[in-house]
Amino acid sequence: MKKTDKKVDGFRFLPPGLAAWIQNYIPQEEFSGPIPWTPLAKPLSRTTLALVTTAGISLKKDQPFDMDREKREPTWGDPSFRAIPRETTEAEIDVNHLHINTDYIRQDINVMLPLNRMTEFENEGIIGSLAPTAFSFYGFQWERTEFLTEAIAPMAAKMKTEGVEAVLLTPA
Amino acid sequence: MGLAARLLEENQFSTIVLTPTHDFHRAIGIPRSAAIEYPYGRPLGEVDDHEGQRAVLLAALAMLEKTEKPGEVRHLPFTWPETPKEAKWHPPEMSPLVKAYLHEIKQARSR
Repeated sequence: MKKTDKKVDGFRFLPPGLAAWIQNYIPQEEFSGPIPWTPLAKPLSRTTLALVTTAGISLKKDQPFDMDREKREPTWGDPSFRAIPRETTEAEIDVNHLHINTDYIRQDINVMLPLNRMTEFENEGIIGSLAPTAFSFYGFQWERTEFLTEAIAPMAAKMKTEGVEAVLLTPA
Repeated sequence: MGLAARLLEENQFSTIVLTPTHDFHRAIGIPRSAAIEYPYGRPLGEVDDHEGQRAVLLAALAMLEKTEKPGEVRHLPFTWPETPKEAKWHPPEMSPLVKAYLHEIKQARSR
């Protein structure tokens, strides 16, 4: 992909007050600490990928993410996760997230979790394969890290069993 | 999401985060970020826009394949076709956090 001059304004869609308030929590200087790094070991066309989103997607047959507790405790966010099989359709999902409009995901899951597009890429040989299981957790984790042990670590363990090598993450 | 990406990299997965709010990289150090100026909740594009979604996904995957060092943020060239107001990305009710901190948020605007 060729480089472009576009500079993405990460706060363009937020009301100005909320944008300014969130930016208070983000340093102006570049990050200078260590960053964990796993280079892609082989070409994309031979790589197994998994999808992960923070959009609060669950199967209707599973327990939904807990919105009631967050309404009572505004800085708490559900730290759990849900497995979403790759063949899941919009008719089978529930979406719970108090910080976005979830209607679009209910209409077309691919706007957030591109299961169908990745299946096309698999069929076209652009990627090696799409893993059997995708995952959702709940993106609102205000200054809390329990989700790393309660969601991300078990998701990673499941990914290992499915031969996953790379992960596309889509925050809501 | 950045912390999740970091933990996955520690577990030998290569990651790419497709995100509007790439600025969080400065706070926590995200291995690879593809920045997209799309509304929250639709980072791949509009409902039923298969071609548009494919283009964004291809760009993100190209970055996954080509990035050679940690901490890179690549700004994707896509433009959302609506104004922020028209995009209607916000929840039907004010979020509990915004409700709880509304006074501070209003003050932040005036600073």
